[in-house]
Amino acid sequence: MNNILEIINLSHAYSKNENSITGIDLDIQEGERVSILGPSGCGKSTLLRLIAGLEKPNQGEIKIKGIKVSSKEKLLPPEKRNVGLVVQDKALFPHLSVYANICFGIKKNKTKDDMTSELLTLFKIENLKSKYPHEISGGEQQRVALARSLATNPDLLMLDEPFSALDKDLKETLYSEISLVFSERKTTILLVTHDQNEAELMTERQIKMEKGSFLG
Amino acid sequence: MNRFSFWRLLPFAVLIIFTAPLLIVLSTLFGSYSENWFHLYEFVLTDYIISSVILVLGVSILVLVLGTVTAWTVTTYNFKGKKVFEWALILPLAIPPYILAYTFTGLFDPFGDANNFIRSIFNLKDSTIIFPNVRNIYGAIVVFAFTLYPYVYLVSRSAFINQSKSMQEAARLLGLNQLEVFYKLALPLIRPAAIGGMMLVIMETLSDFGAVDHFAIQTFTTGIFRTWYGLYDLQTAMQLASLLLLTVGVFYFVERSSRGNGIYTSNNSTFSPNEEVNLTGLKATTAFLICFIPIFIGFILPIVELSLWAYEVNLGFFNNKFLENSFNTLSLSFLTGLICAFLALIINFSIRYKPSALVGRFSALLSIGYAVPGLILAVGMVQLLVYLDNLAFSGFDIVLTGSLFGLVLAYVIKTYALANSSIESGYERISYSLDDSSKLLGSTSWNMLGNIHIPLLKTSILTSVLLVMSDVVKELPATLILRPFNFETLAVSTYIYASEERMLQAAAPAIAIVLIGLIPIVLLSKMIRSSRPIENRE
Repeated sequence: MNNILEIINLSHAYSKNENSITGIDLDIQEGERVSILGPSGCGKSTLLRLIAGLEKPNQGEIKIKGIKVSSKEKLLPPEKRNVGLVVQDKALFPHLSVYANICFGIKKNKTKDDMTSELLTLFKIENLKSKYPHEISGGEQQRVALARSLATNPDLLMLDEPFSALDKDLKETLYSEISLVFSERKTTILLVTHDQNEAELMTERQIKMEKGSFLG
Repeated sequence: MNRFSFWRLLPFAVLIIFTAPLLIVLSTLFGSYSENWFHLYEFVLTDYIISSVILVLGVSILVLVLGTVTAWTVTTYNFKGKKVFEWALILPLAIPPYILAYTFTGLFDPFGDANNFIRSIFNLKDSTIIFPNVRNIYGAIVVFAFTLYPYVYLVSRSAFINQSKSMQEAARLLGLNQLEVFYKLALPLIRPAAIGGMMLVIMETLSDFGAVDHFAIQTFTTGIFRTWYGLYDLQTAMQLASLLLLTVGVFYFVERSSRGNGIYTSNNSTFSPNEEVNLTGLKATTAFLICFIPIFIGFILPIVELSLWAYEVNLGFFNNKFLENSFNTLSLSFLTGLICAFLALIINFSIRYKPSALVGRFSALLSIGYAVPGLILAVGMVQLLVYLDNLAFSGFDIVLTGSLFGLVLAYVIKTYALANSSIESGYERISYSLDDSSKLLGSTSWNMLGNIHIPLLKTSILTSVLLVMSDVVKELPATLILRPFNFETLAVSTYIYASEERMLQAAAPAIAIVLIGLIPIVLLSKMIRSSRPIENRE
């Protein structure tokens, strides 16, 4: 299997006195589903932002499919990394319909309709395609955000506490449905969460994180 | 639910007061039509319409480009001079179009200062003309665009600042570069704000008389003035004004309904502002020029020209009359600003608190006064005041007619749209869930207004007061007609000097108008900057 993500000795700090993450090493293979488990403030989200190219690391390097994308000297812009990120607040574009949100990032006009329709079906949201984000529920918004992030066929999809704002029953439903979608599409996943149950249901490998470092 | 509660009735009560003078003008459409009307209809009405359409289209495109591109540049990028540009870009708002028009001809006419300056530097013949003629519709488009683009800049900047970082990051991760993020995401997201600003510009353009008259362009307003002062036919002038009013009404309602089902704000609880991108080299120079050129044309050039004119009369203008005119102007504009902001706040609150499609539709009419040429509004007001004097003070001398009451009321009707635009867009950014929570916690309507909305709308309220003030300072035709006897403002003083071709003397009050207009603009810029949300990060 190919190495999708390789992180070598990564450290980052937002201020001089406080390290957000320290000495992180991580390898993720193609099609693998990995989660990082840890309490709030341990640096999980910062790690995802560094992988996405939204922050420049102070030390270490990140490679995606063997190509160096981040180091102290180099920062490949987010749009050139082909990674997806779904966050807790979904970041759906409020002025666009569900359909337009999902096809927003698809560059090829020929495949736009087919790809969007396929994702609408896959995430069981065909009936919502002409609705706007404020007209649908939180669970439906999360499905749209996930569908949108898969529309560009990312090499790695990162999920930052995507289900934490949802109620327990809805979470359980989404875990099984979405895990099925990911395994069918062989999507490489990096999930960060503080919920042990979520990590076990959604991923096959769990890594614990505390105070900016991996444990064990 | 009480169908006749205070909050339901309030917008209707204000609407009656606001529309009374306009209805007086509109009622002339149903009156008799004179020979002059048929003459105008046959020979010049098409010209008025074509010129007005070209003017509005040209100005709209230019202000949208200038306003949004400069706003995006100063909110997204960090470059040398950016901190100054943030507030300096609104400086042209202090220059009324008619003053820029005067200085443009003073500069760019064949023997204007700019042509003379270039000829003297390069030792050219007097017959050599460097700059193109500005006394045409294209010159007018430039004049309006470079004095009015700050309306679009202000609202666009405020909207860009309030765009959540997470949305733009999502767009970057979906493969969009910085430029694509601007026109594919950020720009559509600020559409209501930018179009709201553009509507103000269109109304201002259609209402103007001074600049188009100076450039000898036949528009509705010049037609109205010529019909009144040339043909002495007030009835026909008001009938022309009615057509203009109806046209603007169509613009206004098309914009309101074009917003569709989409909403333009995010209810994300984890809002964080965007980080600025540092620019160097050629990119920094380009950003600098994008911001500098509008300020240079819309502010620096006219100020330099006016200063040169004022310098020629030394300090002869600085006397008691000048100070009194300045005080009159400031106090009237501040009072109007307060009244407009208060009205806009309680009316928008009442629409939100007791939502009703009917009230919402009617309240839109409150802003239409902005589009009414000041002179026509003043005529409607005079007729209304005479009627009220006869009704309430029968047997006494005239009380309301020719008083400051009528003048302030006309100002309020004319500038309410500015206050409303700012407060309405402020309200659009307040989630309805806050209202629901407040109600569930037992808040009364006044409590919700005072403790939740007003603190959140602080910037919008101040913005509305200052926008109104800077507009009232410049208002000329309504002041001329409605002012009490022997009461002068700076605009009246400028007009009197200019109409006597005493441009050197007109320069000093014109500069004072600009300087007074600057005070709210500087405060406004500081307030907007301090309202920038603080970023939270894990």
